[in-house]
Amino acid sequence: MKSIRTFLIIVILSTVTLMAFLSALNGYQDSMAKAEQLFDSELVDKSHLLLQAFLARTLIDNKIDMTSTQPLNATVSENSASLIKDIELENEQMAAENNFFAFQIWHQGNLLLRSSHAPQKAIAHFEKGFNDSNFLNHRWRTYSYYNNTSNLWILTAERTDIRYVLAENIILDSILPVVIMLPLLGILIWTIVSFGLSPLRKLAKELGNKRVDDLSPLSIDEQPIELIQVVNSTNDLLKRLKSSFLREKRFASDAAHELRTPISAIKIHLHNLAAMVPENEHSFLQLKSSVDRMGHLVEQILNLNRTSPDQYISRFNTIDLYKLAQELIIREYPQFNEKNIQLALEGEPCNIEGDPFALEVLLQNLMTNACKYTPDGGSVIVTISEKQTDIQLQIQDSGPGVPKEQYERVFDRFYRLNGDSHDSGTMGCGLGLAIVQQIVELHQAKITLGHSSFSSGLLVNIIFPKEPSARKQSVSLPEVS
Amino acid sequence: MLLSSVIIILREVLEAALLFSIFIALSRQLGFDFKWVAWSLFLGLIGAMIYGLNIDAVSQWYDGVGQEVTNALMQLGIYLMLLLYMLLLSITLFSTGRPNSINHKKTLKPALVFIMIIVSTLAITREGAEVILYFFSVTRSENHLVAVLTGMTIGGSIGISIGFLFYYFLSSLNFKWSIIIGLSLMIMVAAAMVSQASLLLIQADWLPSQLPLWDTSGWLSERSAIGQLMYALIGYEATPTAIQAGLYLCGFIVPILLILGLKFKYNLYP
Repeated sequence: MKSIRTFLIIVILSTVTLMAFLSALNGYQDSMAKAEQLFDSELVDKSHLLLQAFLARTLIDNKIDMTSTQPLNATVSENSASLIKDIELENEQMAAENNFFAFQIWHQGNLLLRSSHAPQKAIAHFEKGFNDSNFLNHRWRTYSYYNNTSNLWILTAERTDIRYVLAENIILDSILPVVIMLPLLGILIWTIVSFGLSPLRKLAKELGNKRVDDLSPLSIDEQPIELIQVVNSTNDLLKRLKSSFLREKRFASDAAHELRTPISAIKIHLHNLAAMVPENEHSFLQLKSSVDRMGHLVEQILNLNRTSPDQYISRFNTIDLYKLAQELIIREYPQFNEKNIQLALEGEPCNIEGDPFALEVLLQNLMTNACKYTPDGGSVIVTISEKQTDIQLQIQDSGPGVPKEQYERVFDRFYRLNGDSHDSGTMGCGLGLAIVQQIVELHQAKITLGHSSFSSGLLVNIIFPKEPSARKQSVSLPEVS
Repeated sequence: MLLSSVIIILREVLEAALLFSIFIALSRQLGFDFKWVAWSLFLGLIGAMIYGLNIDAVSQWYDGVGQEVTNALMQLGIYLMLLLYMLLLSITLFSTGRPNSINHKKTLKPALVFIMIIVSTLAITREGAEVILYFFSVTRSENHLVAVLTGMTIGGSIGISIGFLFYYFLSSLNFKWSIIIGLSLMIMVAAAMVSQASLLLIQADWLPSQLPLWDTSGWLSERSAIGQLMYALIGYEATPTAIQAGLYLCGFIVPILLILGLKFKYNLYP
């Protein structure tokens, strides 16, 4: 089930439709049967009325030739009973309009009287009661009535199809509203279900709008009984999460303190030891390299931890990215100079909304990477330019570059191109670009890799939006001890 | 007219709705996407229009019984496709989780989706054409327009509602039961297709006419809503002939035997 609302609306509407329409059909069939009975009883009444009228006329006028067959309208005299006239008129009108009704009056096998469109031969069997017969190209419902006293057969008939249409038109009026109401019913069910699910929607919205660092409990007031347990459980979870985060934050801080201090101490001892061991002592050089590597790894792990979205607490300022890059270049210049790398900064001052510390870490990682992998005498260009809606930061070097198929993998944590045996033989732990990507995501920027403008080398292209949308889930770096 | 419209539309819509609900529920259980539904509806509606508009020409085929024969061939085509679908689905299920087995769910997916599109398209083409024909023939007389439209709305709504309820019923079951009930329903629908095809071939005099074996219209009328549901679901006929009943039984037993055979094979050579 993808959506509770869709499920409820479809299932309720289908069930209601099914029940309503089946009931309507049932009602339709019952009503049609009742209408049939009504038409039948009307046919009986008409037969009786015809007999009475016929007997009355024969008594008044005594003009009927009992041996001849004549249509009713041909034998009406001026003195005929008004009752007969009414019947005749009614029948004539009916005949003219739709040939709905027909009748015959028989006496001892002789047709005495018939409606104008009735055939000469009997329209029904001379058996008392109802039957169906075909004449005048239609199906007719017939009623045969025999009067013992006058020895007359009154045969009456009504067209079945017209009876059906007449009855259906009346019954349709009661079914149509059910059909017409269906779309309205759908809207009503939609509204009711939506209203009924609104507390759930509100709760989901409240949870969705929560910032990552907002671990305050949810409001339990005005929650329906069904959701109280959910809210209570969520609040318990948030409480446990909060204490867990605090512990983790404390761990990061403690780890920084606990790991940095002994590493610094080791470095001092190594410095002192340098005077006591021969220069180029292999074990000493290995030890120094390993300690430097450990220090770098600890710093990178801490940076990764600090820039992690779930640890980050928003502290965005307006920063001049160009100026920040300038400062970084001044600071990192010695290592570029050591390798005789030509370092250039191009572009113009550009202000962006960002976290100063995070952006500094980003630039530092990228520049250190460029320096590491660019051979002696190579070139590195840092370009910062302002576009219409974004700001572009590009760092390109003349190093060996990264194969295209490795572009995505190099962002993985602890992933190093060609494993530990990197061509450059430089120190690294495989976290630099993972940290860069994390910072890029925090700033809602985009990072792409490509081929630099040199004959070989890597181009790192980062596009920062000028106005990042409101951040729900981000963060800045925790206080570093 | 209302009742006739309900019966005719319900018969056509219900059959397609049941097939769709079973297919969609099984697709969901197998993790397929639903693009095939849009394709089936699109192709089916185009097919229905083309078939409906050319029905006069089609009717002239085979000495005036072209429509019956074409419909019967479509029904038999649907049956064969459903049979293939059931077998492929069974292979997928029986092989899942067995050591060294190929991932049939992945390899057979295109075939299963293709069959669903073909079956749904054929069903919509045949039933859609019947609906179009009925609508245009009956609404020529304005006297019946309201009754026919009301009847079509009621019949269509009942059919679609039952389809939705069937779908949610099958979706609410766990994987195993959903597949078992889905397959069982499919076997019944497939057998119903054979029964309907045989009836059409009897009407076309391609199969001999016979006296009905029995008459259960007193118990369950084919013209009632439940009778129509049973007609679409299990091919209920109140007055079946021996040939019809025999073919229905064959249509019912063949897929069961083939599925059991496959199960036996997989149990024997896992």
